Amino acid sequence: MRKIGVFICHCGINIAQNVDVDALTDYARTLPSVVVADHYKYMCSDNGARLIKDSIKKHALDIVVIAACSPRMHETFFRDKLTEGGANPYRLEIVNIREQCSWVHKDKPTATEKAKALIRSGVGKAQQDEPLTPSTIPVIPEALVIGAGIAGIQASLDLANDGFKVHLVDHDPSIGGHMAQLDKTFPTLDCAACILTPKMAEVANHKNIELLTYSHVQSVEGSIGNYTVKIQQKPRFVDTTKCTGCGDCAAACRLKNRVPSEFDQGMGNRSAVYMPFPQAVPLKYTIDPTKCLYLSRGKCGDEPLCKKACAQDAIAFDQKEEILERKVGAIVVATGYDLLDPAALYELGYEQHKDVITTLELERLINSSGPTKGEILRPSNQQKPKSVTFILCVGSRDETQCTWCCRIGCMTALKQIYLLQEKLPDIEINLCYQDVRSYGKGYEEFYRKVRGQHTNLFRGRPSEVRQKTDHLTMDIYDTTTNKLYEIQSDLVVLVPAMVPRATAAETARLLRLTLSGDGFFLEAHPKLRPMDTFVAGVFIAGCCQGPKDIQDTVAQASGAASRAATILSKKELEIDPMIAMVDEDACTGCGICVDICPYDARSINEKNRIAEVNSALCTGCGGCVAACPSNASIHKNFTKKQILNQVDDIL
Amino acid sequence: MTITDLTSMGEPQADARAEINDRLKRLQDHASDYCYQCAKCTSGCEAHKLLELEPHKIVALLKRGLITELVNSDVIWTCMTCMKCRERCPQQVAPIEILFAAKNLAVQSGKELPGKYTAMLQSILGTGLLQEVQTVTTAANATMTRDQLGLPPLSVPSDVAKFQASIMAIAMQKP
Amino acid sequence: MSSQRYALFPGCLMPTEQYAYELSLRASLPLLGIDLVDLPGLSCCGEPMKSVNQTLTLYLSARNLALAEQQGLPFYVPCPQCHLSLHETNLILQKNPAMLERINEMLKAEGLHYTGTTRLVHTIDLLYDTIGLDIIKKHVTNPLTGMKLVVHYGCHAIRPKELGRPDDSENPQKVEAILKTLGAEPITHYPQKLDCCGAPLLPNKPETALAKTGQKLQAIQELGASGVVDVCPWCHKMLDSRQTKAGETVAAKLDLPIVYLTQLLGVALGVDKEKLGFTLNLSPVHKLGLRSQP
Repeated sequence: MRKIGVFICHCGINIAQNVDVDALTDYARTLPSVVVADHYKYMCSDNGARLIKDSIKKHALDIVVIAACSPRMHETFFRDKLTEGGANPYRLEIVNIREQCSWVHKDKPTATEKAKALIRSGVGKAQQDEPLTPSTIPVIPEALVIGAGIAGIQASLDLANDGFKVHLVDHDPSIGGHMAQLDKTFPTLDCAACILTPKMAEVANHKNIELLTYSHVQSVEGSIGNYTVKIQQKPRFVDTTKCTGCGDCAAACRLKNRVPSEFDQGMGNRSAVYMPFPQAVPLKYTIDPTKCLYLSRGKCGDEPLCKKACAQDAIAFDQKEEILERKVGAIVVATGYDLLDPAALYELGYEQHKDVITTLELERLINSSGPTKGEILRPSNQQKPKSVTFILCVGSRDETQCTWCCRIGCMTALKQIYLLQEKLPDIEINLCYQDVRSYGKGYEEFYRKVRGQHTNLFRGRPSEVRQKTDHLTMDIYDTTTNKLYEIQSDLVVLVPAMVPRATAAETARLLRLTLSGDGFFLEAHPKLRPMDTFVAGVFIAGCCQGPKDIQDTVAQASGAASRAATILSKKELEIDPMIAMVDEDACTGCGICVDICPYDARSINEKNRIAEVNSALCTGCGGCVAACPSNASIHKNFTKKQILNQVDDIL
Repeated sequence: MTITDLTSMGEPQADARAEINDRLKRLQDHASDYCYQCAKCTSGCEAHKLLELEPHKIVALLKRGLITELVNSDVIWTCMTCMKCRERCPQQVAPIEILFAAKNLAVQSGKELPGKYTAMLQSILGTGLLQEVQTVTTAANATMTRDQLGLPPLSVPSDVAKFQASIMAIAMQKP
Repeated sequence: MSSQRYALFPGCLMPTEQYAYELSLRASLPLLGIDLVDLPGLSCCGEPMKSVNQTLTLYLSARNLALAEQQGLPFYVPCPQCHLSLHETNLILQKNPAMLERINEMLKAEGLHYTGTTRLVHTIDLLYDTIGLDIIKKHVTNPLTGMKLVVHYGCHAIRPKELGRPDDSENPQKVEAILKTLGAEPITHYPQKLDCCGAPLLPNKPETALAKTGQKLQAIQELGASGVVDVCPWCHKMLDSRQTKAGETVAAKLDLPIVYLTQLLGVALGVDKEKLGFTLNLSPVHKLGLRSQP
């Protein structure tokens, strides 16, 4: 004979004002197996918890039914109280009489009747709750970090400094990401390289970090605590053990300064053998196989000049790609963002006119180690511009392009205006804006400073940019003066929207992540679990989750590292036992459960042709239970019999 | 300047803008550039409720450098000097002082003074005060003047010729 | 009580038409130990000319300030417009040596020189801060019992705060506190309290100026106040002398008593009503039921 206790919470007046808790308690006492029923103002308070614990001891309860709020609120807390009282924590049934009853009904007698039915059915289901014991899995105390921009670098350093081995993967020849391309950073105007390169060097030299650049995560298998990752390392065609980064190869290359530099956003050129930028980590050269004459055409004059030039004999045309396998307990995804190609808004002239550029392109022109050595020159004629016009929100806050705000555009433009005015004191600057969103610490103050420097602000969006003889013109209706103006500029700078990586969907498939409507990775909860994903052990950081600035990116990266460390610091993990199991006598090995499981938790044992459950992967979603044609898939403490009892009792 | 107001084909006058801004900075320690067009000034403007004055537009015109349009506008003479705009501006811009500067420029450029300003100026020149001693009517319809009420004689500039000369000299100078 | 000497700066409007203000302050302030000195040679403060030529304003203010400085006396400035103009000039000249030099160059013609030291008070701070409520209270012999008064401060007395106004810009309460000390029951807040009387539009848009006055007085009348207390000759001219005309702009019959604070001060201190200029108020001040002695 099972002994059930029923505990009813008033939730202040949230429940008690619409449900007669005294009547409910009296009613609960009449239900089968119920040996005690009680009510209290706040069951989740210390006193409420004590009431439950003491009752379990006093009445030797083995099953507890709590009628209160949604189990999402306090289920874990109440399970602990069962343990403390001496009962099995999985023999707990929470009946939601708040969200599903008192909050949604006005008539007290009706609500009380409904609450009685809910408790009746809860007790009915609880009759068959079995004691369960969580299983455990060992944790591999290593992490995979995908993407080595500032987010990945920060997360890797945090984890490595916590003592965990980190495998940091980036598809580029160097780490650094977008931040390495920037000149100064808003609002404090720290030089991006000055604050980033020390961290890059720290990554390169950290004993706990294995740096895998020019590499690509190919597959991810396993589950929280124990993932198996395959990483494809592309051939650099340069032996990195020999290369000293001297640059003789690039200087000798037949295509010297003839290949547009990706790092310089096409504002400058590189050779076919190249290092993206002088502070690259690792400080090694890479041969671009799509451009290299020898690799793409099989012939580079009489002989490849790079090979001839390299005193270290580091050029290795026969290098092949390698597949590496690593085992990790947690994964941090920090794959960053792309900028919208402004050609999407053809009317703004990015495609047609050389002197229409993006903020990132201007960033390379401003940078003193950039292609112009920091001189601001018009791409069309290499002359200094006398007037520059910025257009904000190119594709942002636009239902036809990107509905969201890029969150960095306003401040990027203001920073660039400040830097341009510093470099070219007589320059005329125009800024076309809708709103200037300067929400961060010190941002509004920076905006004020720029306003005070005679920047011509136009509140509105220009409709189109046209080329007239040697300059660009645009008409703009300014809603502060209610007038239409024509602006003539030597250079037009577009502030493009921030968009998900082109590879985001592929990365999501690889890791079973979910994308939000905008195409960025979806967090488990926008406020309370912003670094978590719906896949246990996989965390997200930086702009792959959504647009953000460096400040927020670094904070989120440290947060993601901390979330990962919570897992890695445990020797083993408890697995929730309320998951699927297989009735081996009933299973026919048809494999429907394998197909239907979204978490790859089901497989067919090749020896006995019977389905199995990987308890580390199973989330207890119940999909296999519903799909199984033989009733062989069973959800522990949610058996079909229990649910039918529940339905019978409620009707 | 490479900006054209296509409505009037007017071009921003950077020098005039700089001159007004310099004056505001020098005399009132206020700068117009910080204005972000929240229009709190116009929301509270006493004159706007009865006339067409929009202080935030005044600031916008100055920022844009459209000084001729600003100076030639009749609306600048409708300010009630309630000073709520200056008092409450979140960016410490003082639209009222921009209006004073614009009116001064209008006078300087030879625009005719509206209303009673000429009469007031002439009175100051002649007597040192805005008006001469007035005969007032009591509630009981009697008429009274200053001396009948036992008040001491008016205090006025002792050497009117010198006083006038100084004022005329100022009128010739740039404000 | 030792007496304090102040040079009186009458301005333009008070000594040429707003005699009630001048009569009442001359009759009542000496009872509180204020010794008023009449200086020769004064002129307009220049404030009304700020629209025409601000340098002219600075010059006119400075020449008056110089006359007080010559005597080593602080200025008592009953008109808030004059007070603002003189105060702003002081601040500009103090922080701007080039401007001070330029103005002094102009002052030479009249044999004047200004260094920037003339201290200023207005009626409000003279009574509230310099004399103080305790002293006033001691001298009240004829309290203004039962009078529900509202105060119209006028714009120049309170704004802009950064130019050292006699009372707070958004919640001025000093006049109410003085009225309480005199035994009255001021209505401390009303929605239109900080609004303009319209007077500065008189030179250019007299009809609009009157409409402003009408709107404010109508609102005050609807409050059920016994009367309005003011501290500015320009405001008083609008609220009192032009009240009937102002009423026409809002199609209302206005009959609100309007009095200068110094008139009520005189009554409370026991000064004979005859000496306080009440016959010059054109609004129905009789409705206040003021008596010369208890």
